[in-house]
Amino acid sequence: MATAKKANTSNDELTEGQMTRRRVLSWLSGFGLFGSAVVSVFSNLVFIKPRATYGQPNRFSIGKPEDFPSGTRITLGEHNICVVREGEKLCAISTVCTHLGCIVSTSETGFACPCHGSRYDQDGNVTGGPAPKALPWYKVSLAPNGELEVDKGEEIAAGTYFNA
Amino acid sequence: MRLALAIASFVILIVHGLVFYNQFFHKWERHQTAYFDQARAMAKTDAERAALEGRSPRIEQIIVTAFGEKRVDRCTTCHIGNDDPRFKDHAQPLRSHPYSETLGDRQVNGLWERRHKFSDFGCTVCHDGQGRGLDTFDAHGEDHYWPSPLLGYITQNWRADFKPKLKNKDFMQANCALCHTEENFKSTPLVTQGRRLFFEKNCYGCHKIEGLSAGTLGPELSEVGKKFKPDYLWESIVEPRANSATSFMPKFNLSDEEVKALVVFLKSRRGINFSETSLDRYRASLNKGKTGQFAGATAETTPTAEPAAGGSLVALGEKLINDRSCLACHKLGNRDGGIAPDLSFEGLIKDEKWMMDHFREPRSRVSDSIMPTFNFQDSEYQAMTSYLASLKTPPALGDPSGIFSTLCARCHGDLGNGKGMIAVYLDPYPRDLTKAGFMSSKSDERLMNSIKNGVAGTSMPAWGRVLNDDQIRGVLDHIRKNYVKEPARQAKGRPVPETNPVTSDAASVKRGEQLFLQRCTGCHGKKADGKGPNSTDIQPRPRNLRSADFMNSVSDRRLIESIMYGVQGSAMPPWVDYGLTQKDIGDLVNYLRSFNKVKQ
Amino acid sequence: MAKNSYFSALKEMPANIWHSIFRNSLPSSDLGRAQTSFTNFFLHIHPVKVNRHTVKPWYTMGLGLISFFLFVLLTISGILVMFYYVPSTEQAYDRMLDLRGSVAFGTFLRNMHRWAAHGMVAVVFLHMCRVFFTGSYKKPREFNWVIGVVLFLLTLFSSFTGYLLPWDQLAFWAITVGASIAGYAPIVGKDIQFILLGDTNVGQEALLRFYVLHIAVLPLVMALLVSIHFWRIRKDGGLSRPEEAEDLTGEKADSLSDWPKELDVAPTPATVAASAAVIEKKQYGIQGLVRGPFTKVGNVPDKSVFSWPNLFMAELFVFVVTVAGVLVVSLLFNAPLEEPVNIAHPPNPAKAPWYFLGLQEMVSYSAFWGGVGIPTLEVLILLLVPYFDRTTKGVGRWFAKERLLANTLFLIFVIVNIILIIVGTFFRGPNWGFVSPW
Repeated sequence: MATAKKANTSNDELTEGQMTRRRVLSWLSGFGLFGSAVVSVFSNLVFIKPRATYGQPNRFSIGKPEDFPSGTRITLGEHNICVVREGEKLCAISTVCTHLGCIVSTSETGFACPCHGSRYDQDGNVTGGPAPKALPWYKVSLAPNGELEVDKGEEIAAGTYFNA
Repeated sequence: MRLALAIASFVILIVHGLVFYNQFFHKWERHQTAYFDQARAMAKTDAERAALEGRSPRIEQIIVTAFGEKRVDRCTTCHIGNDDPRFKDHAQPLRSHPYSETLGDRQVNGLWERRHKFSDFGCTVCHDGQGRGLDTFDAHGEDHYWPSPLLGYITQNWRADFKPKLKNKDFMQANCALCHTEENFKSTPLVTQGRRLFFEKNCYGCHKIEGLSAGTLGPELSEVGKKFKPDYLWESIVEPRANSATSFMPKFNLSDEEVKALVVFLKSRRGINFSETSLDRYRASLNKGKTGQFAGATAETTPTAEPAAGGSLVALGEKLINDRSCLACHKLGNRDGGIAPDLSFEGLIKDEKWMMDHFREPRSRVSDSIMPTFNFQDSEYQAMTSYLASLKTPPALGDPSGIFSTLCARCHGDLGNGKGMIAVYLDPYPRDLTKAGFMSSKSDERLMNSIKNGVAGTSMPAWGRVLNDDQIRGVLDHIRKNYVKEPARQAKGRPVPETNPVTSDAASVKRGEQLFLQRCTGCHGKKADGKGPNSTDIQPRPRNLRSADFMNSVSDRRLIESIMYGVQGSAMPPWVDYGLTQKDIGDLVNYLRSFNKVKQ
Repeated sequence: MAKNSYFSALKEMPANIWHSIFRNSLPSSDLGRAQTSFTNFFLHIHPVKVNRHTVKPWYTMGLGLISFFLFVLLTISGILVMFYYVPSTEQAYDRMLDLRGSVAFGTFLRNMHRWAAHGMVAVVFLHMCRVFFTGSYKKPREFNWVIGVVLFLLTLFSSFTGYLLPWDQLAFWAITVGASIAGYAPIVGKDIQFILLGDTNVGQEALLRFYVLHIAVLPLVMALLVSIHFWRIRKDGGLSRPEEAEDLTGEKADSLSDWPKELDVAPTPATVAASAAVIEKKQYGIQGLVRGPFTKVGNVPDKSVFSWPNLFMAELFVFVVTVAGVLVVSLLFNAPLEEPVNIAHPPNPAKAPWYFLGLQEMVSYSAFWGGVGIPTLEVLILLLVPYFDRTTKGVGRWFAKERLLANTLFLIFVIVNIILIIVGTFFRGPNWGFVSPW
């Protein structure tokens, strides 16, 4: 309305004060609405990003160190990791192929992917096939209750062992 | 308008801001931060420090699929120190879960080891509560609508008088029993006690629990723990009518400790217990049907011995009466359940046939009895009957007032007003002897006859087998003097046909039925069972006209008189004043007789 | 030089982007005001000028617009809530708990959706009352009234189908009761109930069907009908108004002098010229194809004002107030979530959603008449009202004297229904017995 007036009120019905008041108010309204829109769009992005997953949790207990005697090389299908222990050194290697996400199986020489023939050595390094990079290692730690915990949220450099 | 617009816009912005702000500040984050800080300070070894490295607050959850439906327990989001022994003395929510040998935890090399690992069991399977909630109100189940609040901790908005009794970690035993179904499991003494009470207090007679009992009179309790919260269970036991206005469940004399054990036991009944497979349950149900026995009762008591001959039959009967909790309701000698009639001299007032019939189907003898039909074997009934029939020692009687208080007061009450100790559990109610309208309208002969021969179809026994005529006369005088307080009036000479003026044939019965449906159903009910829509407002209750024992014990003349001139002191009006002719009444009597004839 | 032009391009970039989106700057001439309407995708549904009567706030009270904005809010919040919802009897309730517990803004979005839905039922009904009491359903707006009644029914049905989705006791038993009411219809009642529930009882099938209806079928149908409803407003000659508002002779102009002064726009030479230019460009050609009354343009001394800013500011205001209202209510009150479904243990009393409690109250007297007979009659009468009531007297004024009978009848209808709903909501306790709410 302010603008409508502006065009038609050459005989100065309005004072300058009223004009600025109106302008301030419309700026305020604009700021309120625009700000709300920004907050609301951002909130909705936060909303659709799940805070808690519905699958297995990222950090989970795999049991006591004694459950994995030296020489163990066992795949935990439920969590898609392979637990390897040699002497005191223990690690958890992902069994999800880095190529297109198939589940690799353990073989004599390391890991082999059934889908497109990727080959990995026993530490998960690529030895053949289309896989672009080595199988990730996950952080293993000792929980206060004496059990081993694997955190799939944290990848560590290959060759970083947990000392049991 | 622009001002309003600006204000409204800012309201929107402020609400957005508030909501946005709230989403990023959670209590659980603070708990987790506190945990990490303290754990770091406590860490002694590199391994401990390494384990905490890179940890930041996030929603923790345990997903358990092993126990029925999928459980998502996010309790460890706040109770993050639950399995960290270093936090055993901290305040909640960081305190670690205690170790306990009762839970099966054991010490290995000085370190405790849990029997029930949290990563396998989660939290809610034992504690209840709402695993998905992330603030205490939701997660602990404080919301009135949440069906399983933290067992023994959260009492929602329950009745103030029950609340303190329901706050106790003992209640968690109910959840132990979901898996540990074996009897006498040592870690769940309350469940064991509750199960024992379930049989001792005769609950099994009326209530069915799959695999334990087969009662049909009360609601089935197989899944009662799933449907109801502890407060409802407690209330239903101590005040049966609080939750079901028409319940005729007796109030048992239970101590708080006993009620608690029963509540815990019932809370553990959730239909499917985790250690059973559906195949096992199906097999069990097949086997149960075959033997015609319900497992629990025999398992609780000693296995039924083969009834031997003679004296040992009586002994077996006595044992059964004790084992099967008859005295949870009845009185026998010094023991008194306070709910059902005295059996101390049953052999004097009832014969064996009556007892057998009554055992097999109580309502065949007392048409509205609340005594359940027990699924015992016939041989067991025989033994119990033999035992009861052997109870022929007459009670010590004195003067008429002594007789009244020994024999009559249990039902008719010390004041003779029909409100004796067990009166509410009898149907028909005992006669209110203070009601002069009724008492003085009946002749001494009629009343003495009732005392002497009992009233068939009701709980009034034939005292003639205990008392002689003089004693009966004395009791009646005592009643007239002390309770009726009004002399018997001479019955007016009213013309009543001695026999039914209308011969019974199909047409007459049909006419009688029509008349009955028009005139009588309001009180006596469509089925003539005395349960018409108005019946609950009437004292004494309308007669159950389908009680064959009663109907066969009264003459046509008495029926006709009652219909014609009404029953004084009751709601039965003189129908002769409402236009019924003698012929109509004859038809009615023929109709009433027609459906009682069968059992004659 | 080139550098300078890049610099100036950079400097002008915001303005250029702005103008590429909004071709007109804030209008300062009648041409500009007119262009605001027909060059903006969202605004071009509006006429360039509307009758001054149309923007009188207390005439419409913006009820139709509020309904529409609530519909928009419901669509947005509904789509968002869908991200976390699974229409499965095993998961639905858990998902509700997750919305409340772990999902960011979950509670708030659910509150918004819930309260906006209740609000929409109420506002659509009030809108219908407004249209009736001002006689706006009369020729030529009969069919738009019919569409409106259908929209009202669809609103009820949308709300009803959404009621089941949380899968708690409240939902389950309300739908059980509501679907049973449908089952009382003669001959086809049981079939309707069966088709609706996909089973004899409320269960997984019903949940899935209600979900599909709620998120796809009903919103689409409603969106279509709303479009037609809006389109018809213009094709039927704008909002209804009294005859004197059309009067161009100015005789009765005095009686209209209480209108907001600021809405009065006197034609100036500039506007006349601009309007003439617009007419030359045949920007309104499409309107010429439409028969019947249409909005006047140019410097004809009529009673109309430009939509910009008079109408648009009013609409913006209604929008802002609606959104603010929903937000505040959602912040203050949480949407109910009762126990998870327990088929064996109905609450006592089991009540339908509040807007069907009038029905349930009537059903408690007579199943057929209360549940089917009377509601069907009511709907039929509502649908046919414009074809019964053919006089064109008293249009455009609240409670016009000429419409005393019609208004009284409708008022009775409204009051009786509201009383029934109030009785059903507050005065009915266990076993549908009469209780006192205080």
